[in-house]
Amino acid sequence: MGGSTSSPAPRTATAAALAILSQLCGAALLYAILKAEGTWHVAGLLALLGLGFYLLERFPWIGDFVTASLARVPLVTMATAAVIVLGFPFLVGTNTYVLHLLIVAQLYAVLALALNFQLGSANIPNFATGASYGIGAYVSALLALNLGMSFWLTLPIAALAATLFGFIIGIPSMRTRDTYLALVTIAFGVVVQQLLNNLDWTGGPNGLVGIPAPSLFGHSFASPLQVFGWTLPSQANFYYLAAALVVVAIVTAQRLHGSRIGLAWNALRADEIAAKAQGINVAWYKVLAFAVDAFLAAFAGTIYAFYVSYISPDNFTFLVSVTIMTMVIVGGMDNIFGVIVGAFLLTILPEKLRAFSDYRLLFFGVVVIGFLMIRPQGLFPQRLRHYGGHR
Amino acid sequence: MSVLLDIENVTMRFGGLVALDDVTFSIEKGSVLAVIGPNGAGKSTLFNVVTGVYKPTAGRVTFDGADITGKPTYEVVQRGIARTFQASRLFSDLSVLDNVIIGMHTRTKTGVLKALFRPGASRREMAACVEKAETLLRLGSGDLYEQRYRPAGTLAQADRRRLEIARALASQPKLLLLDEPSVGMDDTETDALVADIARLRSEHPELSVILIEHDMRVVEAFPERVMCVDYGSLIAEGGFAAVRADPRVQEAYLGKAAAHA
Repeated sequence: MGGSTSSPAPRTATAAALAILSQLCGAALLYAILKAEGTWHVAGLLALLGLGFYLLERFPWIGDFVTASLARVPLVTMATAAVIVLGFPFLVGTNTYVLHLLIVAQLYAVLALALNFQLGSANIPNFATGASYGIGAYVSALLALNLGMSFWLTLPIAALAATLFGFIIGIPSMRTRDTYLALVTIAFGVVVQQLLNNLDWTGGPNGLVGIPAPSLFGHSFASPLQVFGWTLPSQANFYYLAAALVVVAIVTAQRLHGSRIGLAWNALRADEIAAKAQGINVAWYKVLAFAVDAFLAAFAGTIYAFYVSYISPDNFTFLVSVTIMTMVIVGGMDNIFGVIVGAFLLTILPEKLRAFSDYRLLFFGVVVIGFLMIRPQGLFPQRLRHYGGHR
Repeated sequence: MSVLLDIENVTMRFGGLVALDDVTFSIEKGSVLAVIGPNGAGKSTLFNVVTGVYKPTAGRVTFDGADITGKPTYEVVQRGIARTFQASRLFSDLSVLDNVIIGMHTRTKTGVLKALFRPGASRREMAACVEKAETLLRLGSGDLYEQRYRPAGTLAQADRRRLEIARALASQPKLLLLDEPSVGMDDTETDALVADIARLRSEHPELSVILIEHDMRVVEAFPERVMCVDYGSLIAEGGFAAVRADPRVQEAYLGKAAAHA
């Protein structure tokens, strides 16, 4: 794309075929990884994945051509994606463990997209996304348990509460930069977790138990889902709910990225002094990034709380924030698709490599250092914006 | 003509160092002021004080009738002052086009809620920005328009300077501060730069320009008013010929002995 003229423009028919085929391949690979059992099986799939990324790196026109094809036929692309996302639970069938993994992966994708506004777009190292996630979960759970509020009502309230929290950490954070900013956010994350652990009304270390399952039009999310005679396990309800949230997160990310707000974030990432000289209120835009991050993270937190129906401070530790950050770095800063891939890989792979579960923190550390050294731009690097008919 | 920018007794101290010492001058609408002086004389500090990067230790800066002393940079830009930097400060990982569009930040309005819930309006705003930016890129010398989808970091030096100017113009300023725009340009490119500035002035008769320059080719092209700064003080002001002939200016540039030789 852009300055390179090497990639020919795909024709509509080719583009449509490629859009369907590439997404089906992606879904098949995801399915294979989810179903993989045993270290060798997983290692083989990882090698396949590595080969794929190597080919993309070696022959960049492949990636450009596929991306151009997907953009050429947006309706076909979206329809295929919708069919895959809606159909996946039918493929998985009664395997609730796989469904559970998919739900968690989708929630992490939302969290990673939320952090991407800061880390990816504006280069603000925020280690408090896990805290925003926790605040969303606790606020909605407390409202449901104490006031009997419905899930659908707690969702926006929890998001607003977390946004307020985002502003609260955003404002003092603006007095610091880089490493110190990271330290301030780490402190906030730890403080929130300690508060959840020590306050009485949050249930202390025992957390909150018995969060009621949401229901929609009389259908309880705790009961199996029946579609066209098919019966899907109750997890499918939450799978679709999480998928809807991922769609919301993607749309939010795309709209902000494509507006002057995304550009302002990118500007202050590249050069803060120059950004100020363009009339950008740098401090305000940084606080805004905190607020948007907290808002989306709280949605994920609410769904998580109602899905597992039991939350404790252990679910929202510093490690969660580090995990989210790893996903953004591995997937590709400021690349929406990349961030989602990062979230799925880093949710599913540690589960598949259970044998090494004691070394999970070490694993994330090695992955981050490795990526920062070898491929700092992540699996899918950021792309230049393109306007109008230009490609 | 009315005064656009008025600097009154501005002093800027950094600890014991006096970067600007009781500087007073003003510039009228539609005029060009060239600022010369040796390295470290305080020329760039002057720009930083005007644009609110530094708050002056003493003195007052008035722009277009309003006191802007120590006001935050984004507010100063909003009021109509745009600048370029001595060492180009482009957003190097963004495209040339995006750099110019970011320059329009103060002339666009979309906030988070509008971007999320009225995407059509947001998209139209961006489309209008793209059109304006493409026009700006076509106008100047060089072929920035053809390179508009390249990352700004990959541009050649002369193009970087041109892009800085295009980005500054994108905010529709009343006052344009150019900090050594000809750095890294050869003679042909410098001549094109002079032509660009001259064209800009004829198209926008209200636009005022303050130009920091070392290249006398450029200063000579705008000879009406030249100001020489040395050790933070104004040492000479007037037409180009008069300032060049001023013994204190020669001393500042060449040293005492050489000036009297």
